[in-house]
Amino acid sequence: MAIDPEKDLIETRAGRDTSFFDLVSIDSVTPQDMELIFALARKFRSYGTHKFSFNKGCSLVNAFFESSTRTMASFDLSAKQLSMDTSNVGSNSSTTKGESYLDTAETLDSYNLKILVVRAREAGVPEFLARHVQTSVINAGDGWHEHPTQALLDALTMLDHFKGADLKGRTVTIVGDILHSRVFGSLSRILKKLGATIRVAGPETFFPAHVENFGLTLHHKVDEALEGAHVVYALRVQEERGAGGFIPTAREYSKMYGISKRRLDLAAKDAILMHPGPVRRDIDVHSALVSVDERAHILQQVENGMAIRKTLLWLLGNRTDSSIKEFKRK
Amino acid sequence: MTSILIKNGHVVDPANHVDGIQDILVENGKIAKVGTSLTTQADEVIDATGLTVTPGLIDLQVHMREPGREDRETIETASKAALAGGITAVVSMPNTSPVADNQAVIEFILKRAHDVGLITVYPSGAISKGQKGHVLTEINEVKNAGAIAITDDGVDVQDENLLRRAFQYAKTCDILVMSHCEVEKLTNGGVMHEGWVSTQLGLPGVPAEVEDLAVHKNIMLANMCGARLHLLHNSTKGATEAIREAKRKGHTNITAEVSVQHFALTDEECFHYNTNAKMYPPLRSQAHIEAIIEGIKDDTYDAFTTDHAPHIEPDKLETFQNAAFGSTGLETSFAVMNTYLVKPGHISFSKGISKMTVEPARILRVNKGTLSVGADADIAIFDTRQEWIVDAYKNSFSKGKNCIFDGKKLTGKAVMVIRGGRLKYQNGEILHT
Repeated sequence: MAIDPEKDLIETRAGRDTSFFDLVSIDSVTPQDMELIFALARKFRSYGTHKFSFNKGCSLVNAFFESSTRTMASFDLSAKQLSMDTSNVGSNSSTTKGESYLDTAETLDSYNLKILVVRAREAGVPEFLARHVQTSVINAGDGWHEHPTQALLDALTMLDHFKGADLKGRTVTIVGDILHSRVFGSLSRILKKLGATIRVAGPETFFPAHVENFGLTLHHKVDEALEGAHVVYALRVQEERGAGGFIPTAREYSKMYGISKRRLDLAAKDAILMHPGPVRRDIDVHSALVSVDERAHILQQVENGMAIRKTLLWLLGNRTDSSIKEFKRK
Repeated sequence: MTSILIKNGHVVDPANHVDGIQDILVENGKIAKVGTSLTTQADEVIDATGLTVTPGLIDLQVHMREPGREDRETIETASKAALAGGITAVVSMPNTSPVADNQAVIEFILKRAHDVGLITVYPSGAISKGQKGHVLTEINEVKNAGAIAITDDGVDVQDENLLRRAFQYAKTCDILVMSHCEVEKLTNGGVMHEGWVSTQLGLPGVPAEVEDLAVHKNIMLANMCGARLHLLHNSTKGATEAIREAKRKGHTNITAEVSVQHFALTDEECFHYNTNAKMYPPLRSQAHIEAIIEGIKDDTYDAFTTDHAPHIEPDKLETFQNAAFGSTGLETSFAVMNTYLVKPGHISFSKGISKMTVEPARILRVNKGTLSVGADADIAIFDTRQEWIVDAYKNSFSKGKNCIFDGKKLTGKAVMVIRGGRLKYQNGEILHT
């Protein structure tokens, strides 16, 4: 007898809710939240593009004030696969006419949204807006700060590869521009929660002040950081966030820190290669490794992104408890 | 003219080494007598039993916003806010619209302050035309119009050659230069102190060295030219060391201040993207605060100021990166000094008062900041034990609601304030006497 996907998801959820109403930082995600999110995401993933009726009648707006391919597409498709109505605003919004982020958010909030997904060039925009709207705000990347759904999908990718409940005893080596990277902001926080050992490799210009307080070691020589690592996580050199002046040339950077087959071989035997995308082939990662090397998990990350986002939209858009978010109109 | 007798108050007048119960008689706008159990008849007798009587406070750095940005603050609202904080004289900063780089604006400010008639306003003029850092202001003209100092506060003169010429000209005209110290290229768009907090928030940081380098540069060039230099709002360990060294070498032309928030609060105030905590210089880390307090104790720092910077609410209801810089402070500076320096025992009350009265008066070379017989009768009466919670929205005279101390509990409040021999403020009310 075929399993009913909706019933399966409801049984897995077992009436549980997240501890948070808004997802602006991994700081607010508890171990119980993670367990719930990962369990549901694995189920959603197994049902592919199946259309669920869970969020029927609920609306979502993707407010992307900065460009995006995978995050916006996956939030939008996830919402539709949950039967939500969606709309997208962004660089063509009234913010270009001088409307503030707050007025834009309060306007959208008046449509009785269940979810507002926000991406912005400046750090803190989702947290700021979340304080003043009734809808649940999901941070889809804010400046150099955080990108929490990316960290959740990355953690799921790692946990599934190593078939564990946490990452204790595993070493994750992050290579590249962590200063301008919101992916790093969330990843470093979630890896710490999961017990991983974190190494970072890059030039000094990419290290933010006191970043070692996240509980990680810093390395100028990438080979040394890669030695025996279980996850090699390459970041993109973010020229759009001003990283251009932080390295002399992309060519030299690629020579010093680009992940080549020789470098990847320094990692542990069962190591995986990850990248949040978009990849700058032959600068961050050697082109041959991106999609054909079996160690590359970049496309698994993308697939997990759909599952994680669908999970969050269901959890935040359709709470089973009757608690209501506190907020203050301005 | 009227006379006022203040009875039985605890008088703290650092200039005259007075720290005890005394009576003060005010006549014709001047201090007429100070002594125990004065029996002179007066038009008005104030019983100051249990209260503390000091010279009216002097604030070297206030953004009054008028002319040009009366939506943020006016000379009238700033004057009222000052009185509520026990402040009777302020130096107004020149970043108005138009900039105070000419006689007309200086004269306008003096006239408005005179018409409002609540506190003494000493306008400062700009160092460079439009505060753009390219061409010198007509320094002698603004001085003759009544400017007490020149400063490009809000920005620093980035061109060292222009800064040198400014010091030379300031010496020529015998006018004080007040420097906001910042090497802008190194600030590089930073919006808060660069450190562990900025890293967690993902915000671009301002390293302490931005200030340290500029303090060294300003001291060197002022000394090279023999000009009087006052260093505005210092916040770092490096700045403290540079100023201490200059004073140790005997450079009496160098004076320096701390804005009270910089010894009270750390960069952790920026958590949750609290835009009221955004200011220049930024709130620094605990290590810097400790160095600043050492500098206060050993008199590396001469004065405390507010750097009162009111804004309209939309300019702070913004992303941290886009929000305006600055916090209001006129109504809280005395209480902040009392709460964060005197109560924990870092300095005596008398020392704190000296850095808000006689020391700023000495820097400005004005006959204020004391209760000496014959001095201007500018007097503040405080309840130093009163605890209150700052509410920038409800109980504030300033138009700006952007106070970094909003919601915090402070100890000490002005009860009555006399300026020019007239009672101007009493228990939350402005008196138009």
